[in-house]
Order: sequence, then structure tokens, then C-alpha cells
Amino acid sequence: MATTLWSNAMMASASGFNTLVRSSPLVMMALLVIPVMGGLITVILPAFGWFPVLGHTQFSVDGFIDLWQTPGIGYMALLSVSTSVISTSLAFVITILILGSYFTSPWLGYIQRLLGPILVIPHAAAAIAIGFLITPSGMLSRVVSPWLSGWVTPPDWLYPHDAMGLSIILGLTLKELPFLLLMALGVLAQPDLGQTLRAQHRVALSLGYCPMTAFFKVVLPSLYPFLRLPLLAVLAYASASVEIPLILGPNSPPTLAVAIMQWFHDVDLSLRIKASAGAIVQILLTLLLLLSWWLLERLVKKITQNMLINGQREYADAMMQNITHVITLIMFAVIGLALMGIILWSVAGFWHFPDALPQHFVSLHWQSALQQMHTPLIDTVLIGVYATSLAIMLTLFTLEAEQYTSKNLLRLSSVIIYLPLLIPSIAFLFGLVWLLEQFNSHQSFINVVLAHLLFVLPYVFLSLSSSYRRLDPRFSMVAASLGASKAKIFWKIKLPMLLAPILIACALGLAISFSQYLPTLLAGGGRINTITTEAVSLANGGSRRTSAVYALVQMILPALGFLVAWALARLLPKMLFRYRE
Amino acid sequence: MPLDKLMILSRTPKSMLHIVAVIALSIFICASLWAGNAYAKTNESAAWSDIEARGINQAVYFHAWGGDPQINSYIQWVAEQVDQQYQITLHHVKLTDTSEAVSRVLAEKSAANDHNGQVDMVWINGDNFAAMAKHQLLTPNWVSTLPNFGLTDPDNNPAMTRDFGVPTQGMEAPWGKASLTFYYDSLASQAPPQTLQQLSLWSQQHPGRFTYPKPPDFLGMSFLKYALIMLNNSQAEAIKNLLYQPATAHRQALLLPVLWQYLDQLHPHLWRKGKHFMSSGMALRRLMGDGELALAFTFSAADVPAAVARFDLPNSIRSYRMRDGSLSNIHFIAIPYNATHTDSAKLVVNFLLSAQAQAKKQQASIWGDTSVIALSQLPAAQQAWFQPPTQSHPSAQIANQESSPALGEPDPSWTKVIATQWLQRYGVMR
Repeated sequence: MATTLWSNAMMASASGFNTLVRSSPLVMMALLVIPVMGGLITVILPAFGWFPVLGHTQFSVDGFIDLWQTPGIGYMALLSVSTSVISTSLAFVITILILGSYFTSPWLGYIQRLLGPILVIPHAAAAIAIGFLITPSGMLSRVVSPWLSGWVTPPDWLYPHDAMGLSIILGLTLKELPFLLLMALGVLAQPDLGQTLRAQHRVALSLGYCPMTAFFKVVLPSLYPFLRLPLLAVLAYASASVEIPLILGPNSPPTLAVAIMQWFHDVDLSLRIKASAGAIVQILLTLLLLLSWWLLERLVKKITQNMLINGQREYADAMMQNITHVITLIMFAVIGLALMGIILWSVAGFWHFPDALPQHFVSLHWQSALQQMHTPLIDTVLIGVYATSLAIMLTLFTLEAEQYTSKNLLRLSSVIIYLPLLIPSIAFLFGLVWLLEQFNSHQSFINVVLAHLLFVLPYVFLSLSSSYRRLDPRFSMVAASLGASKAKIFWKIKLPMLLAPILIACALGLAISFSQYLPTLLAGGGRINTITTEAVSLANGGSRRTSAVYALVQMILPALGFLVAWALARLLPKMLFRYRE
Repeated sequence: MPLDKLMILSRTPKSMLHIVAVIALSIFICASLWAGNAYAKTNESAAWSDIEARGINQAVYFHAWGGDPQINSYIQWVAEQVDQQYQITLHHVKLTDTSEAVSRVLAEKSAANDHNGQVDMVWINGDNFAAMAKHQLLTPNWVSTLPNFGLTDPDNNPAMTRDFGVPTQGMEAPWGKASLTFYYDSLASQAPPQTLQQLSLWSQQHPGRFTYPKPPDFLGMSFLKYALIMLNNSQAEAIKNLLYQPATAHRQALLLPVLWQYLDQLHPHLWRKGKHFMSSGMALRRLMGDGELALAFTFSAADVPAAVARFDLPNSIRSYRMRDGSLSNIHFIAIPYNATHTDSAKLVVNFLLSAQAQAKKQQASIWGDTSVIALSQLPAAQQAWFQPPTQSHPSAQIANQESSPALGEPDPSWTKVIATQWLQRYGVMR
């Protein structure tokens, strides 16, 4: 076992371990700050007209003027703002409705188990599945045709790609909801906090509050602070995401982020200046959104402050409950139908429009796709494994270092960890690619791993930090009093005890890496194809069937990761610690 | 091993050393004589064998649009062949848009990376080529050194050295020819439109069943250029010919209004009432497969029967060319100025131009891309490779293939003008 050897070696040189641990927070900060900030700076220069290769060596605001004069620029910004705000609000409202409705019911657990897998479905795959559902010839219209709708040819309706962005909102909401819900459930699973909140809820019930009102008055105010950062991350992501608007959104005009990506890739190279200016505007837009959310939060708090203590026991609870049931049902129907559609397409022979099922089933699409996806599949897995291993090591060492100084990371550092999630990636990735080219032009693989690390690290940290910080310190104290070195405590006590959370964090890291589109595309310079980049380019391609296969593979990969993590978490302890029984 | 040999030599008598020296000397003389002989042949082939010597056993990054599984499989086949012949590992970097490669080379130039570029070869034509040529991002004057370039008979085929009317100056080698081919669902419509004017009428009778990709998509631009040429066909010769010259404001005023007039009339009858256009040309085929469209068009006609075989298109699909004309163009391979593996790339391009590779590419079941080789340059046995196979889906038979006149591509400057003005007019919903 290489790890055992290594850990023995580490334990042997305690000073080596100490140096490693103490330096890792710095390394981690550097790995996050340098690419993001460097990328931002190298985007700001061309935004203000500094682009030597085209002979622009004087600072000017021409890029911004150009941007301002783009037809539909206001609409692009509006579309970005409206889709992100509406989808985030919807996801948040449905999350708290579900939590409130099923807070004491076993259904909460079932919903959690059903939605868990949705969380790890990459955005691109989810968008493809939803597109298959709502397109005029999609599952939705096939199910009601021709017996109900009378359609014998696909209706000429505007979904997906509708100008209002409703398709984008549907896609983003369905992707954000599981994330927020699982985050909230994660908070409630913390023993001290969760038990206190549930006890308080019970007290409220015994005082005659209706369950939902009790949730909103007692639990939500304490729960919300823990949801703030995930919410802001979701909002920031939605405002600048590329995959879902690219696959489901309108193109006349598209959202700002998609337009920026197209300008960066345009034949007309002078558009790069406009694109850079657009990237700056995108950052400002996202910051503005985050600020507005925070202000909105304050406003809501101020308005509802009196309601919390006014003693009213019920606010149309029964109706709210029913609405929640309906929403939950619709949500699962949409997810179920979308998945069924995508599975059917992946094995469909000829499939004429009103038929709800294909005329016959073939395995041709799977066969030819699996032949073609050989290399992308290997690259996807390798990049995921490298990025996740690096992220796990850095996170564990940083968390260990934090315990030496016996204080949580500085406030600044804990914000820095989420930097790549809060700053629109489209803004700094282009600069980052330019920077990477300066150093190692030909190492596309390493570049992609580093770019993925930016997005994997925050999630791994988020997922591991609470378990690590919560680990009872008395175990370490006892071990230390028996003479164990810090290294030995780390390898022999903390890691084995944290095996399950570490494995889950690994699976999460892999899932995040598998789903990355823009970082792979840009850092890899098109040389590295993963399942995700292939799926996105095929989503706009000629074959629904091939596209369905890729989207399904994209869903299966992270699911496999979690399955393996789950199996290992059960099996490994039995194998490793058998002698203790 | 050398160490052992030296040990033996050091122990052997001097006479042995003399014998070894004589043998070495004679080998050297023979070798130089042989080399001198080879050099005497021609400068050019010597230059080529130098390229061969330098080019083998390397990796080549071929940046080419990757949206078509048939073409991707063909490039995979090419990769196997060059691996056998030259031990070259050909990587197909699949682009969604060729402009991605253009931006990459530009980014490298901006980073002063003038020798270790990531793009070794790029599949290109039209305005992408014009952009790269304008910014001097391509290696010039290499095409005529390829032994197989002669097979295209460039002296009698001026099209081989002009890309959308712009002289290629040896910056890119021709790879294939394509013509705009229409295909329709014979269940939805028995009589597809045969001319541009009929298309407008047909759309009124079949509302929502036709569309074209949104500019600047290559296929969408091709449709607009076809329309522009046909709509100006009745104008005086001197005015028509302005299409093949740079698009000045005056010329635009002469030629473009009819196009906008036509589109204003056409759009309300298009798919989604002309309020939304697909960004990608490939999406047309998907919409045909979904049954949303009844008429579409493509530059890779052979892809239509192939898609039927993969169930992506219904069995009732048929192909034809417009009677009033088909936009035709040649696509090329270029080598960026900073390519890392220039010589290997030349070997690959030379292979792409070989009779073997071109004949394979022309087979409808492989790709169906028309060869650029002038068959007269080939021995009869090799000419036979280019004969079409007999059996296939009916959509493989293209109606009007011979009678449809080939329409040349307008000057590349028109592409940008049309795309910009289109986006101003129709790109943003009102």
C-alpha cells in the first residue's frame, strides 16, 4: 500500500509533516488567488484597449463603447439578471417550502434520497434532458398527442430557446434546488444545531403553532445564515453560467455570458476587446446581484421581524402544504419524464412525431458513441482523479493546520476559498488561459487539471470542513497524552475516523470535475476533450440520439463515483479494522 | 556497448586499427557518393525528402470542426494511415467553430509564442482564412512543395489556389469540394421548391417547416449568399460581378436591398415565425429528424443517407439541388505560422491529397466529400477508385446534380457585411 508507506515515512519525519501542514494553507490560497486574480488582471488590460498583438497599445474605453452599441446589449444583461434572480428565488422558496412541509415527516428523507442524485448531474446533461422534454417534438408534447392536443406535427412553439428565458429558469431551478436542499439538510444534520432546532420546533408545535408556521418562525431564522453563502454562490453561478443558457436559452440575443464567450471566439479578432469589456461588465453585474440579494435579505428581515413575535399560530398552512405537495409532484414528474425521454432517445430507432414510444429499439447509438468516446472518457476520469486528489490533500492539510493554530481560517481566507465560485468564471478564465500559455504552453492536460482544481477545491473544502472541525478533540488529546506525534494522530486517528466524509468529498470532487465545461474548453485549448465538452457540442449537433447517449454517460459517471465512495465507506473499515472486533 | 568495443580496440594491435579505419573511410565515401547522386536528382524532391526525414515520428495537432461523426471517423482513419506510413500521431482537435483555432493562434502570437504553437494544421476556408491571412497567422508558400499537390492540376484548375476568390499564396492546400444540397421529407411535401422564388411560395404553403441557421453560422451564411446571388441574377452583368469584389458601401447599396426585401417576406413563414434561428447548422438535421422541419440543406450531401441509416432522419428523406444554382466552394488545410510540427503537418497534408485518401473521402458511406484531384492526372487503375457504388438509400441519389449550375462564393468581405447587417435587422427581437 503506497499510502501506508507514505504515511509511515511522514510519521518518521515529524518535522516534514509539520512543514507540509503549515505551508498548505498558503499553497491553497496561492493556488486560488493567483489564477483568479491573474486572470482578472489579464482581462482588464484588453478591456481598456491594451491589446498589443492587434496594435492597440493605448488605453481607451472603446471596448465599452463598442459593447454599449451592441444591439440588444440591455436585453442580454436583463436576461442574465432575470433568469438568475428568478431561478435562485424559486429554488430557495421551493427549498424552504419542502423543508417546512416535510420537516417532521419521513418524506423529507425520501425527497433527499431522490434529489441527491440530481445534484451530481452535470449542468449540461440536465439541460439536454430538459431540452428533450420541452422541445416541440419532446416527451411532453408526445405524451399528450394526438389524443388530447390534436397535434400530428410538432407544434411551432418557442420552447426551448424562448426569448423570456423561461427554459433557462426551469433548467437552473431544477439544478439549484437539490443543491440548496441538501445544503440545508446538511446543516440540520449537524448534531448540536439540528437537535436544538428540532427541539425548538417541537416546543413551537406544543404551543399551538402549525407545523409550517413553526418552521418559518423558529427554524428558518436560525437556518438561513448557514444557507447564505450557498445561495450567493448559486446566484453568482446562475448569473454567469454558460452551459444551460447555451443549450436552452435564446440566441437573439443570448445571455451576456454566452455572448461574451462567442465574442472571445469570434473570427473578428478585434471583438476580443469588446469581449473583455463584457467580462468586466459581467463581474459588475454579478457583484450587483449579490449586493441586491443581501439588501433584499435585510429588507425581508426587517419586514418580517414583527411577524416572528406576533404570536399568530397559522398562515394558511393547509393551503401552503397542498401547494408544496403539488410543486413537489410536478418537479418529480418533470425530472422523471425528462430522464425517461433521454433514455428512450438513446436507444430509439425511427421515432415519428406523435408516437410516445420509438418504433423499435436499437443499441447502435450506444455502440458507436462508446467507440468514439474512448479517449474523452479516459481523460475525464484522469483529470477528475488528479484534481480531486490534489484538492483532498490540500484541504486535509489546511484543516489540520487550522487546528494547530486552534482558530478557524481568517475571515479573508474563508472568503478566498469561495472566490472561484463567486467571481464569474467566464471573466477570469480567458485571462488565466493567456497566463498559462506564458508558462507552459504545451501542457494542456496539466492546465486543465489546475483549472478544474479551482472549482473542485471549494466544494471539497465545503464538504469536508464541517466534519473535520466537528471531530471530537478528545480523541487527539488522549492520543497525544499517550505520546503520539501530531503526524501519527493525523494518519492513524483522524483520517480513519473521517473516512466516510473524505470518500464523499472525493466523489463530490470527481462529480464537480466531470461537469466542468468552460475550464476544460479554455484551459485545454480544445486539445482535451471530456465527456462534458463533447456533450455540449453534440447538444447543438445533428443527432438527438448521440446527444442522449453522451448526456446519460455524463450522468452515470458521477453516480458511479458516489456508488464507489458509498461502497468503500462501508467495506474499508471492515477490512482495515477487522482485528479490533 | 560502445564501452566494450573501445576496451577491445585498445587491446588490439595497431594493424587492426588500420583495417577498421579503412573500412570506415570506404563506407563514408560510398555514403557521400550516394547522397550526392540523390541530391543531383532535383532540388525539390531533396527538399521533400528532408521534410520526410524531419517530419516522421512526431505528434500533429489537427484542428478541425468535429460536429460530424462521419468526418471524425474519416480523420481517425487518416490518423491510422499516417501512423503506419510516417509514425505520426495525428490528434484530431475537435472544434465547434473553426474561429476557435483562429483565436488560439492569435492568442499565441499575442503571447509572443512564435515557434511552439499548439495548432499544427487547421481545416479552414472563407472568412476564417481571410482573417488568418490578414493577420499573417499562416505559413506561406509551402503547398507547391507537396508532391501530391500536382494531382489537383492547379495550372488548369485556378479554383485550387483561390479561396472565396482570394489567392491562397501557398498558405493552404485544397482538401475537398462541396455544394449546397437540399433535402426534404417526401411524406410532408411531394414537390419541394426548385428555385429561390419557389422557396418563398413553398414556405407560405408550409408555414413553420423551413428555417436556416443564424449567421455567422457557415451554413446559414451559405444560404444567404445563395439567395443574394440568385436575387441579383437578373441585374446587369457589371453589377452582378460586384459580388466578387470587396463589399464597399456603394456596392452594398446596389446589391443588398433585394436580399432584405426577400427575407422580410420569407421570415414570417419560417420555423418559429422567424423569431428564432438555430445557432448551429447541424441543428437543421436534428429538426428534420424531429419532424419539425420538412425542408433543409447541407454542404455534406453524403451525410443525409448516413443519417437515415443511423435513424437520425426518417426513411422518407430525399435529396436534390436547386435548379437555379448551387453555391459551391472548396475547403482547405492550412498550417499556422508558429506550428510546432510544420514538417509532419506537411506529410499529413500530402497524404490527404493522395489518390487513396481522396478516393476514400469521396465514398458516400465514408464522407461523400467531392475530391479535389483532377482524375486526368491519375492512372486508369486509380481513376476507378472514384467510381460511385451502386446500392444505397434513395436520398444518396441527388436530383438535378448535373443540371444545377455551380455558383461561386462571393468575395469574403461580403460574409461579414451580410452577417453584421442581418444581426442588426433580425438578430435582436423587437
